[in-house]
Amino acid sequence: MQIMDELNVQIVDKLNGDIENLSLRLRGFIKDQVSGFKKKGVVMGVSGGIDSAVALTLCVRELGKDNVYGLLLPEKESAPSSKTLGAEVCESLGVAYEEVSISPILKSLDIYDKKEQIIKRTCPEYDSGIHKTSLVLPDFLNQGLLNVPYIKLIKDGEEVAKYRLKAKDYLELIGLQNVKQRSRMIVQYMYAEKMNYAVCGTTNKTEMVLGQFVKYGDGGVDIEPLADCYKTQVYALAKYLNVNEAIIQRPPSADTWSHYTSDQDFYWRMPIHIMDQLLYAWEHELPVEVIEKNTELSRETILKAQRHIDRIKDTTEYVRAVPPICYVGK
Amino acid sequence: MGQIMNDILDYLKDNSFIDRESSLNSSDSLTQNGIMDSIGLLELMDHICEKYSIEIPEDMLTPENFDSLQGINDLIVKLTK
Repeated sequence: MQIMDELNVQIVDKLNGDIENLSLRLRGFIKDQVSGFKKKGVVMGVSGGIDSAVALTLCVRELGKDNVYGLLLPEKESAPSSKTLGAEVCESLGVAYEEVSISPILKSLDIYDKKEQIIKRTCPEYDSGIHKTSLVLPDFLNQGLLNVPYIKLIKDGEEVAKYRLKAKDYLELIGLQNVKQRSRMIVQYMYAEKMNYAVCGTTNKTEMVLGQFVKYGDGGVDIEPLADCYKTQVYALAKYLNVNEAIIQRPPSADTWSHYTSDQDFYWRMPIHIMDQLLYAWEHELPVEVIEKNTELSRETILKAQRHIDRIKDTTEYVRAVPPICYVGK
Repeated sequence: MGQIMNDILDYLKDNSFIDRESSLNSSDSLTQNGIMDSIGLLELMDHICEKYSIEIPEDMLTPENFDSLQGINDLIVKLTK
């Protein structure tokens, strides 16, 4: 009987089920953790994306709008809509917020110039006056290619060239880009400590499992209410919590490139509903037949995708790890 | 094992992907055995392009072409012809 149930499992239904109860559990978690830390409220970076909109709404409903403070933390390459939507969500919830540009921090560390140099040596025809740029990985499901990063040049909204990044340039670029999230973390703590608030994170379970966050950047927070909710569940929560439809419809992105680069293009390399079903199946050790039924992917593609996900998890183990301690007293 | 596979094996040893004393069969998986992660693969691609003066087309950047010494050997032979 149990085997039959397992074979008929509808993963999307499981993920979208009982959202009201999930919302209550998350609210309870927020309250318990904030009071456990003896903090008066939470500070949160509001990006204009769905994760921070959901986390902010949950915090406001549980702690009250007067105990939540929003920070809009744009920089030179942020999409203008990030700021507009971030402000809108704060205003619709009645949350006090402030805009703090992190561009001066990035300029002081020469981040933009160093990034330009890498793009120039990778893409000979790059002209910052003409081109926008984006970092992408090839689509996995249709092409089955390795995780090889490319810089894309975009002119008037159209891709005009694509160049493979060398390993050393890719590593340097990631280090430079991650300063953005780490700068935001510094600003959030500056406010949180002044107000005796905790910093609330917005990382979801899809991102957590895939290591899709910056260690000591957006991962540098006091509480992570969404970290056991797949992105699909965050969408369901957003609908349940009446989050602004423009935020729900917006393609998720870290928003760190001059051309808006979606998480599907750089991280997931497949639609999010497929990625979440694969991750859910992995977590619950569901047989391949069940995944075939749910995703309509072939067995071969599923097995390849599972190996691809295993490689990502392996590579990002370091991102999730807390600093190991050598306990000398035991 | 041919010259190309020996060169790759030396690269893996010189860059601490495997121990000096270790050996690999030509069909052993480099990723499934935990020898290389995705960054290691990118470094290996750069090494191959530089050493053999080749460019690897995007459609050849497949797990099959890079997962074993044999796969890498076949790829290099094809691109240096």
